Amino acid sequence: MSITRRNVLLGASAVAALAPIAARAETSEVAIGVIYPFSGASAQIGVDAQKAFETAAEIINNKYDFDLPLARTEGLPGLGGAKVKLVFADHQADPQKGRAEAERLITQDKVCAIVGTYQSAVAVTVSQICERYQIPFISADNSSPSLHRRGLKFYFRAAPHDEMFSAAMFDFFDAMKKKGTKIETLALFHEDTIFGTDSSNAQLKLAADRGYKVVADIKYRANSPSLTAEVQQIKAANADVLMPSSYTTDAILLVKTMAELGYKPKNIVAQDAGFAEKATYDAVGDKLEGVISRGSFSLDLAQKRPMVGLINEMYRAKSGKDFNDYSSRQFMGLIVMADAINRAKSTDGDKIREALVATDMPGEQTIMPWRRVKFDEMGQNNFADPVLLQYSAKTFVTIFPEQAAVSEAIWPMNS
Amino acid sequence: MDTAFNQRRRRDLIVAACFAVIAALVPLFVKDVYVQNIMVLTLMYAALSQSWNILSGYCGQISLGHALYFGLGAYTTALLFTKFGVLPWFGMLGGGLISAVIAMVLGYPCFRLRGHYFVIATIVIAEIALLLFQNWDWAGAALGIDIPVRGDSWLKFQFTRSKLPYFYFALGLACVAWLVTWWLEDSKWGYWWRAVKDNPDAAESLGVVVFNSKMGAAAVSAFLTAVGGAFYAQFVSYIDPESVMGFQFSLLMALPAVLGGIGTLWGPVLGAVILIPLTELTRSFIGGSGRGVDLIVYGTLIVLISLARPEGLVGLFSPRRKEPAR
Amino acid sequence: MTAETIIQSLASGLLMGLLYGLIAVGLALIFGLMDVVNFAHGEFLMIAMYATFFLFAFFAIDPLLAAPLVAAALFVFGALVYLCVVRFAVRAKANAGMVQIFSTFGLAIVMRGLAQFFFTPDYRSITHSWLGGKTFSIAGIYLPVPQLAGALVSIAAFTALYFFINRTDFGRALEATREDAGAVALVGIDKNRVFALGWGLGAALVGLAGAIMAMFFYVYPDVGASFALIAYVTVALGGFGSVFGAFAGGIVVGLVEAGTTLILPPSLKSVGIYAVYLLVVFIRPRGLFGSL
Repeated sequence: MSITRRNVLLGASAVAALAPIAARAETSEVAIGVIYPFSGASAQIGVDAQKAFETAAEIINNKYDFDLPLARTEGLPGLGGAKVKLVFADHQADPQKGRAEAERLITQDKVCAIVGTYQSAVAVTVSQICERYQIPFISADNSSPSLHRRGLKFYFRAAPHDEMFSAAMFDFFDAMKKKGTKIETLALFHEDTIFGTDSSNAQLKLAADRGYKVVADIKYRANSPSLTAEVQQIKAANADVLMPSSYTTDAILLVKTMAELGYKPKNIVAQDAGFAEKATYDAVGDKLEGVISRGSFSLDLAQKRPMVGLINEMYRAKSGKDFNDYSSRQFMGLIVMADAINRAKSTDGDKIREALVATDMPGEQTIMPWRRVKFDEMGQNNFADPVLLQYSAKTFVTIFPEQAAVSEAIWPMNS
Repeated sequence: MDTAFNQRRRRDLIVAACFAVIAALVPLFVKDVYVQNIMVLTLMYAALSQSWNILSGYCGQISLGHALYFGLGAYTTALLFTKFGVLPWFGMLGGGLISAVIAMVLGYPCFRLRGHYFVIATIVIAEIALLLFQNWDWAGAALGIDIPVRGDSWLKFQFTRSKLPYFYFALGLACVAWLVTWWLEDSKWGYWWRAVKDNPDAAESLGVVVFNSKMGAAAVSAFLTAVGGAFYAQFVSYIDPESVMGFQFSLLMALPAVLGGIGTLWGPVLGAVILIPLTELTRSFIGGSGRGVDLIVYGTLIVLISLARPEGLVGLFSPRRKEPAR
Repeated sequence: MTAETIIQSLASGLLMGLLYGLIAVGLALIFGLMDVVNFAHGEFLMIAMYATFFLFAFFAIDPLLAAPLVAAALFVFGALVYLCVVRFAVRAKANAGMVQIFSTFGLAIVMRGLAQFFFTPDYRSITHSWLGGKTFSIAGIYLPVPQLAGALVSIAAFTALYFFINRTDFGRALEATREDAGAVALVGIDKNRVFALGWGLGAALVGLAGAIMAMFFYVYPDVGASFALIAYVTVALGGFGSVFGAFAGGIVVGLVEAGTTLILPPSLKSVGIYAVYLLVVFIRPRGLFGSL
């Protein structure tokens, strides 16, 4: 086809005619990419996460009387009431696929920001791509501390990382010791992927710094067909506190195997993950009475902040589950990102980044027990105070830190 | 060899050259990075599957443990670069040589095994390597290795946004793997392998030379696979044991050759051209549902193709091409 | 390390090994019959575990009672898989070995996808069954009742299988078909029928294993992957073509796995199994008791 003057003119006038519509279309919807595992071994996480993000988008796009950023307005007022549109992508827990999907979302779906990813290994590659395209990335629920230390400018994490979580556990031990409780020995029990490795590294370091003796450090293969031998070793060590870092499958098997081998740990202080999942408590909840897990969320916050309960109801209507440590962080991830886009009054990556850097959200305006959301120069929010939750009578209650606690810890767990 | 065979070989070479030139021109028209990404992966898998095909297709030693060599290539390059600042080009070569040597060391006892005993041996050897890397702290253990990318550089073979350098490297690798296969078909090794397949008794009389040729095939196959692994490490700029040494990877390398036509020159290329875009597109466009529809589509296709076209999809194009496979 | 730890490890390893044997025997049977390795074996186990779970969740049928039902259902399923998929795979003129590996592998992916589609990827567990959570203890050694039951079922299944193959007409037909499929056609045995029944029987045995497993293990679409490789190694270690080999292979795998954790970090326990496999086949290329 030859390009005639007429064609060019036609094209030019068509572009001119369409331009205002296109501009309006652009601002009436803001696309945000959401990258999670929707198939494979951790697909359930993606399915639950999708509901959490949809809940957040619903609150942003409609009017709700919550003291949460963007709840009381429809859409993003800074962009003329534009609605948030979520574009979901499946990374199947594979770093290569995560990176390809991030690139697709940025170049094809024109997302102006990305939230993800559950698996830390995938967060590594997704955040690299975001850096290259200068698109802000919020690591909603990745807890590997190495992620924010890579000097990336477009990486942000509103939630705590494993060192903060583990530090909270040791703060709790110190506080218990001050009250005269005997806590001397610890047994670490962690899986062999990035999550367990990071978690145990942080715990080993803290134990050494604060004078606790690690009597067993068991690293096991994730999704093992049996954990009998592993449990024998922690049983033999019989530490004052058992500290597991396990995903759901292994958490269920661990608890069952401990019961089978007649081992009742004195106390369990878990690094969340499997110990925050409903499936674990459905399966072996009767054996977990008194277990303590770190978290960044607690439903009993609803007593102080009624909106937490109401938002949880919205989430439960979609997913059939209460918010847990993951879904609440995912929810907040989108809220923080949308708030920044709104303040940036633009979908430009650099402007959103500047807005994120300037973020200062009071803790009361979140659904978390955090002091505030404010990022340091590496993109980490150091004000996201973790809490420790204890499972008793089928619910989680906050027991630490003191200002957030609603009840005293039951210690040892079986008393 | 008869002239028909030589004619076919010449024609194959010309066709391959045409394809290579056309492929090299495609990025001039396709600017979308997502599509370019799929093209890079397609070429990479074509190269990997072609390398796998040398040992498993032509030589008949079915390996489901090639992730070992892929992972060794990726790790050698990434470790040499991040720990010692050695440029990836040397790492690539080093990884390839290490893999070739390991393939021969392992081949020595393994080639005595037959059928499924051999297949399972290849699987468990790769699994052992995976577990060792998963527990090897110096090599990053489960945390893997994050290769820092600081701008575009041919020297360090890293590019922030452009896919073109990766594309042309992958194309080159696919061409090299294809040419090696093409050359092997007419070499004395290729002749022995065909003889052994046609007549098992010939294996007895050729015993020692065939054993040596298998060792050679294993080394060549491992070398090329490791170069592919090194490429992958640079392309993704992050590796961890599960994503470069997992069992899934061994299957993914074999699949294009199996679907396209095992033990054929064009099978791996054809298989990769069909399979890789298919897997990527199904995941991207129907995988977000969380309901596993992509798996159902993908799995059904594998079952259907392998049942309907046991000789591979190449059979569809030219029935005469089957003959070197037998 | 105390003597108690060692005895406990070995006792647990033995129980687990008998279960591995039970999981693997179906694979061994099918291979012995027709030289086909079913790469969807883990997914057969997954289906069996789901069947047991749903019988429990909807009809409150205890896994122990569900076991025969699940085995029967899997029998039908196995026969159907043979008739719909594998029959065509073995008929392939070219690359028969490859075709059967990849058609069953494709089937495995489809089964995982379907499980995710219909059952969601959530993790399920049977919370209270007659035997679940109960444990036996003698002199400080703990033997969980479900695994103990599994071990007994395993021994019973192997014994029954032994008599079945050696003492019944059908068993002899199986054996004869295995040795020479062409010749049996001459004496009026329909090869396809025998193979279909063989697949049914193999799958039924996996069904039994799945019902037992569901008592103490979680179920989700990818659960088969944890057991599939162990099942292949078990069969190959015992020797292809030998049903008794799977029994011995299972015990060896269970004991080696438990033994390895006494020496190496537990995350490397599979290395012990794999190393023993390699050692055995390098010395005896046909596995411990293999005839092929």
